[in-house]
Parts: sequence; structure tokens; C-alpha cells
Amino acid sequence: MTALADTPTTAPARTARGVALDKLFEALCFGAATLLLAALGGLVVSLVIGGWPAFAKFGLTFFVSAEWDPVQEIYGAAGAVVGTLVSAGLALLFALPLALGVAIFLVELCPPMLRRPIGTAVELLAGIPSIVYGMWGLFAFAPWFAKHIQLPIMMSAKPGTIWETITSGVPNGAGILTASIVLAIMILPFISATMRELLLTIPAQVRESAYGLGSTTFEVIRKVSLPYVRTGAIGAVMLGLGRALGETMAVTFIIGNAHGFPTSIFASGSTIASTIANEFAEATGKLHTASLIALGLVLFVITFTVLALARLLIGRQAHA
Amino acid sequence: MNAQLEAMPETAILDLPPEVVKLAIKDLNFFYGSKQALFGVEVAFAANAVTALIGPSGCGKSTLLRTLNRIYSLYPGQKATGQVLLDGEDVLAPRVNVAALRARIGMVFQKPTPFPMSIFDNVAYGVRLYEKIGKADLEARVEDSLRRAALWEEVKDKLHQSGLSLSGGQQQRLCVARGIAVKPEVLLLDEPASALDPISTARLEETIAELKSDYTIVIVTHNMGQAARLSDHTGFMYLGKLVEFGETEQLFTNPVTDRARDYITGRFG
Amino acid sequence: MTAATNTPGLRVSRRISEYAFLIFCWAATAVALLFLAAILFALLKQGLGGFLKPDGHGLDLDIFTRSTPAPGSQGGLLNAILGSIMMCVVAMVGAVAIGVMAGTWLSEFAGESRYGKVIRFLNDVLLSAPSILVGLFVYEILVAPLKGFSGLAGSVALALLAAPVITRTTEDVLRLQPTALREASVALGAPVWKTIWSVIWKSAQGGMLTGALLAFARISGETAPLLFTALNNQFLSLDLTKPTANLPVVIFNYALSAYDDWRRLAWAGALLIAATVLTVTVVARILAREPRRS
Repeated sequence: MTALADTPTTAPARTARGVALDKLFEALCFGAATLLLAALGGLVVSLVIGGWPAFAKFGLTFFVSAEWDPVQEIYGAAGAVVGTLVSAGLALLFALPLALGVAIFLVELCPPMLRRPIGTAVELLAGIPSIVYGMWGLFAFAPWFAKHIQLPIMMSAKPGTIWETITSGVPNGAGILTASIVLAIMILPFISATMRELLLTIPAQVRESAYGLGSTTFEVIRKVSLPYVRTGAIGAVMLGLGRALGETMAVTFIIGNAHGFPTSIFASGSTIASTIANEFAEATGKLHTASLIALGLVLFVITFTVLALARLLIGRQAHA
Repeated sequence: MNAQLEAMPETAILDLPPEVVKLAIKDLNFFYGSKQALFGVEVAFAANAVTALIGPSGCGKSTLLRTLNRIYSLYPGQKATGQVLLDGEDVLAPRVNVAALRARIGMVFQKPTPFPMSIFDNVAYGVRLYEKIGKADLEARVEDSLRRAALWEEVKDKLHQSGLSLSGGQQQRLCVARGIAVKPEVLLLDEPASALDPISTARLEETIAELKSDYTIVIVTHNMGQAARLSDHTGFMYLGKLVEFGETEQLFTNPVTDRARDYITGRFG
Repeated sequence: MTAATNTPGLRVSRRISEYAFLIFCWAATAVALLFLAAILFALLKQGLGGFLKPDGHGLDLDIFTRSTPAPGSQGGLLNAILGSIMMCVVAMVGAVAIGVMAGTWLSEFAGESRYGKVIRFLNDVLLSAPSILVGLFVYEILVAPLKGFSGLAGSVALALLAAPVITRTTEDVLRLQPTALREASVALGAPVWKTIWSVIWKSAQGGMLTGALLAFARISGETAPLLFTALNNQFLSLDLTKPTANLPVVIFNYALSAYDDWRRLAWAGALLIAATVLTVTVVARILAREPRRS
């Protein structure tokens, strides 16, 4: 019998090649994984470098000024940042109860026959491209919204009240509130899908024992199910928020694209993403480009924080 | 009663004559991370014979089997010390080409593991890894392996159907055929019948009995009847140690150690 | 508890909140479905018009046979459709290669290592990072240094969006493959690469295909990252080193234009993209559901 070490039984060349290929294969896989890391790292670095001239020129005022004037070359991020936070926050406000309702419906109430078609239909909402939401929002939803909701509300607001201030605006339907509603529809399927998965992780015995005590569905959900998945549910909400913060095309269509602080919920506004989408390809000068990239960096920091928190919370729930 | 009072030995390991030994294990220790699972196992397995390893769950019998072809080395953190001598060469030596080693020591697992490919390709998979042989030779090898695994008659007309389409018992015999197609010298069977119904088990046992003339077979089983029917030698393990090893008939009818006697008479495990 | 349920007053309030809650859940689902229906309805109503002759009679295949027109003249979307297909195909080739390898590393080699955890985490972040930032990144590393927009830059941006999706699904489905299958192949003397290549990938191919389809669905409607990478091109061109026409950007430009013809084309394009994405999504879901042969 031959020695095991040097001369494998039948075909020495092939096994030697096998070992070498193993190393090569693992190295390739490792390289691909590292490439993803490099992409994220490169993204941050490129945003910092590209945005540097703007930070250097405006310093801290870049973050607190809402003035955005390409003609005079004065740029401040505050308007877009506030627009981003307000529109995403409002979107979350609308989407969260709806998404919870949908998730609970699909898990607890839906007749089994309808579970799959309705579940798929809600998932389809997530599949519709952002630009289609934008077109629908601008050409179909905004006019309807202006006529049936915005006008009546504006008419009913008494002059001189705070209500009048926050509902003032051009009644064309395009503005922060409309953008938030469309955003809400866009993030709803993401939140409800994660929520649904979380609800399905609750052990049957836990729910059954709650029902066994005579609880109603509402009580089981409120007192048992939601507390049980609390951490993960917060993560799901953050995930939805992350999507809303970075959503670009739909918002660009609908929000009206006005710089500065938004003054009312019906007013035109802008978000970081919509400003970049609108102006970047036609940026007038180096400083304009740099300011837009600097805006991008601000958006990255905001979304990274939110998404990282979301992943940590969802991950913790999964291990709990 | 008086006879029982005689001091029984802690361990009793039968020494095989060197000329029949295919695999010799010397002072083998095994660790899952920091947890030791085998303690100084010392035993030899005879060529062209079936050796059964029995013992309660977690006693280390499967671990011992997984040491012999170094399948454990897939997992960082698992390590073995000591010697496993295959024809006198140490399998555990760092310079050993594990892939080549595994081609000489085949293994069949607890649950059937057909690959997601045709029945023919399943059997040919290992052969193609190590040999460049013509189509006709390959077909002959596949047929021969399937015949030895007593599966040929059932699959000869559907060799190109997926291996996953077979029944559980057929899948397990397919795995046996796949294992012997590479012409190994040793065949390790890790509770191969535990997922099978009685009829499939009986067929698999017949297959193993027929394979004995060509291979050194080591089988881990929790079924003592199976061990008694199939094997020439039996080792009884307990808490990571080999407690008793001897002729199967002798071990089952007249065990020498307390532990083995208690286990075989059904007092625990 | 027993005392509480026997109190008539409490029982009524519990019943009311229960009904209110049930009605709310039904209503929430109804609202979600209503929005889906409204979007699909508007899309069909406006979009189908683009596939009819301007007088509304007879099918008009100009969409598929002619390129984007100058204002006021007749045309179609041929250059945009072709450009989109080319960019997506190139992007998918790159993304599948990177995503499958990276997912394989995470599942088969990374184990519990710290580096593996970091990559897994950052990949999840990249998965939901705003696509417009990826566009900025590619602009910075490819467009600005090479002084020119190009279809290839667009492909790179799309690949960066698709790769994390494929990485994640690949890791998930590979982890579902039984350990015994890996051991069985290795026990025959197969090297690890061969085991993964011929046994594990093959066993997981259904799930991996689903992941690739979902990634494709995601990038085929992406607009933001293309705005300043691929830009646009008025003319039919197969050269990916030049600015390349693509459906999303054409839709964006035309939808917000003042010309009726252009808006008609934008709606037709939107319908085309939505139909593609939704079909691919549904196919991917069906594939994912198909019970494995076992």
C-alpha cells in the first residue's frame, strides 16, 4: 500500500489540484464578500471626498441653513433634511397602523383560502417600481386628493387659526402630505411582511393559553402577541422608516420640489433624495455638485443609523 | 450469587492477531472544542469482517466513526489526538491528503443523502472525481455497484431519473452503491437503518452481509439485534470510552464487564 | 379573570373594543388592496393608450420598433427598452457572480467569525440603502474620473443594488441544505469546492433562482441611480460605453414634460416596466413555494 501523504491512492495530480482549487474557491468567495464591504466603505469615502468642498466652504451653517440658492452659490441642507424627516415621519405614522392591521389580518383573521392571494397582493405593492408610484401619485392621486380632501379641509379652516396656517398651500394636491401618503403605501408592505413573520414566530402554546383564559383576539394581540415581538416590531418599523427616508423617485414627482423649510402640510417641499435627483445631472458648478454630494452623505448617515438599529433589533428578536 | 461477587474487569478489549487488522486505533482522544468526547480509545478492526459499535446515545460511537475518515476536520474546533492506522499508516498525520483518504474509506450516513442528480450520476459522482475512465467502463462500474447494493433490478430502467425520486430504503442502498463505486477498502456505516422501515432494513442488512467479503465494515447501531445478526466483532462504548470489545457472540452471550452486561440485558440505555 | 368576565359592564366594553379592532384590521387590508387596485387601474387605463394608434383604433407597435421621438413627432421606446435590457443583463451577470460567491462564503466558510458577522450586517444595510446614494457613488468612481456618462456605469450601479439581495438569499438557502449532504460528498473524497459546486448549489438552485429573480425585479424599475450614471440617449445605441437610453429615465423625463405624446409614451413605458416587474415577482414567489422533491 502506498503512503497516504504523498501518493493518494489513484490519481495524485487530481487530488493535489483539488486542494489547490479548494483554496482558490474559498479565496474567490472571500473576495466577493469583501467586495461588498469595500463597496459600502467606498460609498462612504466617495461621499466624504465629493462633499468635502461644501463642508469646507459652509462649515456648520451647511447643516442649519435652509437657504439653497444655485445662483448665488449658497447651499444649506436644513430644508431638505427637515423635509426628509417630516415626510418619512408622516409616512410612518400612516403606514404603521395600516401595516399592523394587515399583518394581524393575515395571521389571525384571514380565511385560509384568501390568505395566499391577499398576501401576494400586498407583496405586489412592494414590487411596483418607485417611478410608477410617482406617476400615479402626481397624475392620478394628487388631483383626486386635492379635490376631495385638500379643498374641503382648506375651506373648513377658519381664517386666522393655526389650522389655517398648517393647511395653507396651492390646492393642486402635490405637496408634503401627498408625498407622505404615497410613501406610506410604499413602505406598508415591508413593515407588514416583517411584522407577519414576527407574529408567526410566537409559539402556538403562548397564544392558545391566552385564548384559553377567555381573552378576545384584541386582548391577545395587545397583551400577549405585540409585547412578545416588541423588539423585532420596533426593528420592522425602523426598516420601513429607512426605506421612506431614502425613497427618491416617487417623492421627486409628488413633493413639489421647493427649497427651504416646509410651512404647511400641503405646501411644496423637498427631501434630500429628491433634491439630488432633480439637480445633480444639471448641477451648475463644482460647489453645487459638492453640496449635493454632501447632502447625500447626510442622508447616508441618517439612513445608516436607522437601518443599523433596525437590523440589530430584528436580529436580537430572532435570537430571543 | 457468589460468582457475581468476583471482581469484574473495568474494561475488556480483545487483541486481534496483527495479520487480520485493517484499522488499528491507538490512544485516540477527541475534542469538540474544549469538550472531550473520546478518551484513550484503543482497538483494532479486522479486514473482511463487520465490526459493530454499540452503546447508549452520546457514548461516542458515532464520533469514533467520524474520526476514522477525518470527516470531523470539516469543522474547525473539532480535533483528534492519537493514532488511527490504516494498513499501518497514520490517518491523523497532518500531511495526509484527506480527500484521498476518504476515497479509501467510504461512509454511509444515518439519513439517506442522495445528491440532486440522476441515479446514474449519483453513483458515478465519486468515480469521476478520481478516475478518468471511458463511458463503457463507467457504466459497467455503476451497474456493478448497484448490483452489489442490491438495487440494480429496481432501478435499471430508470437510471436517468432523479435519485430523489426513490423510496427511503432505495435511497439508502443508492448511497451504499455510491460509496462502494469508488472501490474503498473500508466502509463506515453510521446507523444506516435508523430511518428505514423493517423491510428496507432487512434488505440493507442482506446487502451489508454480502459486502463483507470485500470490505472492512464498521457499523454504528443502536439496534442490538442488528449488531448481533451482522457483525463478527462488537465494541461497547460508554461515556466516550471503549468498555468492551470482543467476538460478537461472546459479547452478547457472556459480557465480561458490568457496564456491557447491564446494557445488553437492558438495565439501562 | 373569571370575575371580570362575569361583570356585564366590562363584557360590553370588551366586546366593543374587539369589534372595533376586527373592523380596523379588515379595513386596513381593504385600504391596502384598494390602493393596489387604484394604481393598477390607472396604469392600465393610461398605459394601454400608448399601445394603440393615436386615433384609438388598432394596435400600435411603434413602442417596440421606433426610438424616442423629438417633441411633436411620432416615436416609440425601442432605444430605451434595449438599453434597459442590456444594462440589466450586464448588471445581473456581475451581481449573480458576486452575490453567489459572497453568499456562499457567508454560509459555508464564515462560520461564527467576527469578519463574517460584520459582512453579514453591512450587507443587510447595503440591501436597504437608498439607491440614489449608490448612483452618487458610481458617479464619483466611474463617471467623474472617466469624464462621461455610460451604460456601463449604470450597470455597475444596478449590480451594486442587486448583489446584496442575491448574497442574502444565497446565504439563506445554502444554510437550509442538510449538513449530511455536504458530509456525504466530502466522505466520497470530493474536495470542498466540488461539493459546493455539484451538490450544494445544485440542491439549492431553486431558492437561488428565486433570489436572482427578486434582485432582477428590484433593479429593472430602478431610476434614481441611473439619472447620473447611464443618463439617457435620444438614439438607438448598442454601445454601453456611451450614455445609454433606459426606460426609467425616459419615463421620468417624459412624464414631467409638457408634450402629450411624450406623456403617452411615459405611461406606456411605466406599464411595461410594472408588468415586467410584477410578473417576475409573481414567478419568483411561485418558484419559492414549489415543494422540493424529496
